[in-house]
Amino acid sequence: MSQPAGKRTVIGASPPRIEGREKVTGAATYVDDMQFGPSLLHGALKRSPIAHGRIVRIDASRARALPGVRVVVTGEDFPGLTGLYLKDRRIFALDRVRSVGEAVAGVAADTPEIAAQALDLIEVEYEELPGVFDPEYGASPEAPIIHPELASYEVVPFVFPQPGTNISNWFKVRKGDMAQGWAEADLVYEHKYRVPHVQHVPLETHVCVAQQNVNGKITLWSSSQSPFAQRNLIAKALHIDHSRLRVITPYVGGGFGSKAGVSMEGAAVALAMHAKGRPVKLRMTREEEFHTTFVRQGLVAILKMGMTKDGRITAMHNRFYWDGGASTEYGVNITRAAGYSGTGPYYVPNIHVDSYCVYTNHPVGGAMRGFGMPEIHFGIEQHIDEMAHRLGLDPVEVRLKNCLKDGDETLTGMPMHPTGLSECIRKAAAAINWGQETVSYSSTKRHGKGLAAMWKAPAMPPNPGSSALVRLNEDGTATVSIGGVDIGQGALTAMAQFAAEGIGIRVEDVRVNTVDTDYSPYEWQTVASRLTWSMGNAVLRAADAARTQVLQAVAEAWDEDISDLDIVDGQVISYRSEESIPLKNICIDGVQRKDGTFVGGPVVAQGRFMPDYVTPLDPETGQGPRAVVHFTTGCQAVEVEVDTETGEVQVLKIVSAYDVGKAINPELVRTQMEGGAVQGLSTALLEGLILDHGVPRNPNFTDYRIATAVDAPLETENIIVEVPQDDGPFGARGVGEHPMVPTAPAIANAIYNAVGVRLDSMPLTSEKVWAALQNNDI
Amino acid sequence: MQPFDYIVPHNFAEASALLMAGNDDTRPLLGGTDLLIRVRGGFIRPERIIDLKQLPGMCDIVRSAEGWLVIGAACTMNQVAGHPLVRQEYELLAQACESVASYQLRNRATVGGNCCNASPAADSAPALYCLEAVMEAYGPSGVRRIPIHEFFTGPRCNALRPGEFLTGIHLPPVPSRSAGAFNKLGRTKIGDISIVSVAVWAEAGSRKLEAGGQSKHPERVDGATRTAADGQSKDAERLTWRIAIGAAGPTPLRAPEAEAALAEDASPEGVARAAQLAAEAARPIDDIRASAAYRRGMVAVLARRGVNSVLARLGAAPSVVGGQP
Repeated sequence: MSQPAGKRTVIGASPPRIEGREKVTGAATYVDDMQFGPSLLHGALKRSPIAHGRIVRIDASRARALPGVRVVVTGEDFPGLTGLYLKDRRIFALDRVRSVGEAVAGVAADTPEIAAQALDLIEVEYEELPGVFDPEYGASPEAPIIHPELASYEVVPFVFPQPGTNISNWFKVRKGDMAQGWAEADLVYEHKYRVPHVQHVPLETHVCVAQQNVNGKITLWSSSQSPFAQRNLIAKALHIDHSRLRVITPYVGGGFGSKAGVSMEGAAVALAMHAKGRPVKLRMTREEEFHTTFVRQGLVAILKMGMTKDGRITAMHNRFYWDGGASTEYGVNITRAAGYSGTGPYYVPNIHVDSYCVYTNHPVGGAMRGFGMPEIHFGIEQHIDEMAHRLGLDPVEVRLKNCLKDGDETLTGMPMHPTGLSECIRKAAAAINWGQETVSYSSTKRHGKGLAAMWKAPAMPPNPGSSALVRLNEDGTATVSIGGVDIGQGALTAMAQFAAEGIGIRVEDVRVNTVDTDYSPYEWQTVASRLTWSMGNAVLRAADAARTQVLQAVAEAWDEDISDLDIVDGQVISYRSEESIPLKNICIDGVQRKDGTFVGGPVVAQGRFMPDYVTPLDPETGQGPRAVVHFTTGCQAVEVEVDTETGEVQVLKIVSAYDVGKAINPELVRTQMEGGAVQGLSTALLEGLILDHGVPRNPNFTDYRIATAVDAPLETENIIVEVPQDDGPFGARGVGEHPMVPTAPAIANAIYNAVGVRLDSMPLTSEKVWAALQNNDI
Repeated sequence: MQPFDYIVPHNFAEASALLMAGNDDTRPLLGGTDLLIRVRGGFIRPERIIDLKQLPGMCDIVRSAEGWLVIGAACTMNQVAGHPLVRQEYELLAQACESVASYQLRNRATVGGNCCNASPAADSAPALYCLEAVMEAYGPSGVRRIPIHEFFTGPRCNALRPGEFLTGIHLPPVPSRSAGAFNKLGRTKIGDISIVSVAVWAEAGSRKLEAGGQSKHPERVDGATRTAADGQSKDAERLTWRIAIGAAGPTPLRAPEAEAALAEDASPEGVARAAQLAAEAARPIDDIRASAAYRRGMVAVLARRGVNSVLARLGAAPSVVGGQP
């Protein structure tokens, strides 16, 4: 960056969200608010009632004959495969269904009622097949094969399917000498941990509208984290030119990863292609949202670690069996991320990690806040805690001893970049008064403290790109176009800050557009906590380029050196001549030279960013020079009160400390930490999709409980640590997902500290605490 | 959602005739917070829905000439919980109503509907069991009164006959020296369906109800004579206990052995024993919310906590708790 030093006025300030007023007043427009007039058709999907079976026959003739039904499509109409990393999914099932809720047909009708009636009239005959409902079993040779065609699926080079099995990716780490690692250990401990499927439960369920015009061009209005990835995947699956598919994403009511990639949007486009120009809306009910878009994958983790009596970790042998569901087009990369992060944020000399992505007849797993990290840390961070206790060591000291420091080699052989992990652990421990006895005011209410550390890298292909456009307007304001989406994290505001800082104008004078792929520049996806870092770099470069365009024109007109010029609060100034001119006078019409002619013109600038240094890893050992762009690290410490009679857990306080490199907007960073802590608490104590032979038993808010305001911690403390990222804008790296990664194990460790019971399966319900206490007199 | 006809009857007889004629195709509507969710989910597909809310008295709370409190079947949870007479004399019912779902939902959900829906986890029910409510129904053969414990007949089953509908809930007067406590355990702290709930009630003296549901005790006709009567009555020293359990059986349940044990011995040991007897009275099942074992264990905990809280309140303010001074 060519930013002059000493003028960072907006970076590190906390201007309010630029779209906040619209959202809190209800003025903000979401997809479902958009009006399409009386020609709008209502789409609905016929879904499989069984978990695994062959489709013998589909008869849609009665549905087609129903008055008001305009389109009926099935898998035969769109047989192509799709998927982000592994093409193993169809828009509609073709000859086999692999999960309850998989779409087998779609209808579009004049009213939602007619569409629902039409679904009832579609007759589907199935021949049921034996199912796979557990990932360890699914990975075994006895399991029925769910995708016999796995060998033929198109896959990215860094994913390794195992044809003839249900394993769609196997990520391995082999490092050091395991025998030596175990020999050096004074304690070797093995344990199994389970994490259930959970759902993102965004306030706004998936919704989109698709329409094809007379030229064949299709527009998709979609509540999405990934307008460009949707354009790419749907265009390829349906054989449409990319430039003839336009994706428009207005404001989005939450995503948490569920709206990354493509789930139901392809079906809307498929219906629109047969709707003769009429727009087709598809909107998920809450029940559909719970199991037919994406869920967080379940996990069975078998961890084995060696530790010396002074607390040094000598070896880890960790096996992760991921319950990937019926398709793992996205899940394969979660498995990979878990593999290359599979030791947790620790230096370990001898490592054996296997991360298996296993097909099951469960809902399709996809990205969710943390992308595999909350799941693996649930076991790892409890395991380390347990071993510290068994060896009579302080869990905080053990973590400080082993946690990765600048230059330590990670499990994949990458030297760790400068990181504030140790500082995060120390600060979180101090804020919870670690080591100080807690006071329990009642004989049946026990207090305890627990702590867990974490790391997470953006999980993505090696080279996902970002780009940005900055245009200056007649009044000196700037319009920034980006391809990333504000899903509540505050991306629009952060980008406005970068643009304001880069150009030299006030943040109030920056507008940031929502995404329209016809007009917005490319962005890979809004995932991986990567926007502040990656898109931020692109916006900053575009802003810098805009500023340079202005200053070059002024320098020429005034016959000055560009290095003597600056833009401050919308005024172009010369430090040499002390001349100044408002930006608005020159950013469209150019600058007048002394002879009366003009130089410059409308300021339009672009910027882009793409990491160009991530290397492949050896498929047999997982070793390579640079597995990822960077790791964000952090720590949470919690204090709980456990009711020993009912098992209820009240979280009293959560302290979060994360190394964000540089907090561009500290208030938004703290909000992320607080929100992550509450979502982490919710998944820790309450959440889990109950699947009975693939049938979801609680796809509703009656029985899938999420934390309410009164279940939130009574107190949170959010600590920002800043060890700069070398290629981050002003040193920033992402923090969107990280705050929920260590919450569950931190709470589990606190429960152990309070009442002496160790819970190895999520959620940590009152009943589980109570049941453990029944067998464990305290 | 399956379309249906929405009908507002003009009078009781028309409402009854509509329900009688329609059989299973026809459903009565009070708040609709259970009914419409079941229609939307496709669990029931009624052709007609009869909205009973607009019939006379259905949304009223009044004191009868005999001193009973009469709650119209369509009174909302918030209306009942906020009513001055309920708060002063039947605060146990207010506690139970306020534990249901969310404030918004309680603006719509009715106590009558909560009972007619007959979920074993209906949170108003254990309180009504403790208060010995009498349910009044209107039907082809006129008005019929049904004691609450006979009204619930099984999961989602009530004692109403074809053509009958609930018109009101009648609560007998309570002695001035009385107190109640409602405790519920959910997965979240508010808004959840109960894993279990326990209502505990204690009052000075004992009383018998006539078949018609009227009290024989003249001193309970109004508040003015009550205080004096309590002072004279010999059995005023003795407490009558009632314990009712929710979500741990096919219907809400009373725990008579626990109640009797408490009347004999309300020492800490006696309370612990009664709590155990309450747990033994429960008939819980395993479901996705909790196991039977956990439910049984929690009945004991909530019963003990409820009894202790009632004892504390009676001890703290012996003559005014639960009644008008």
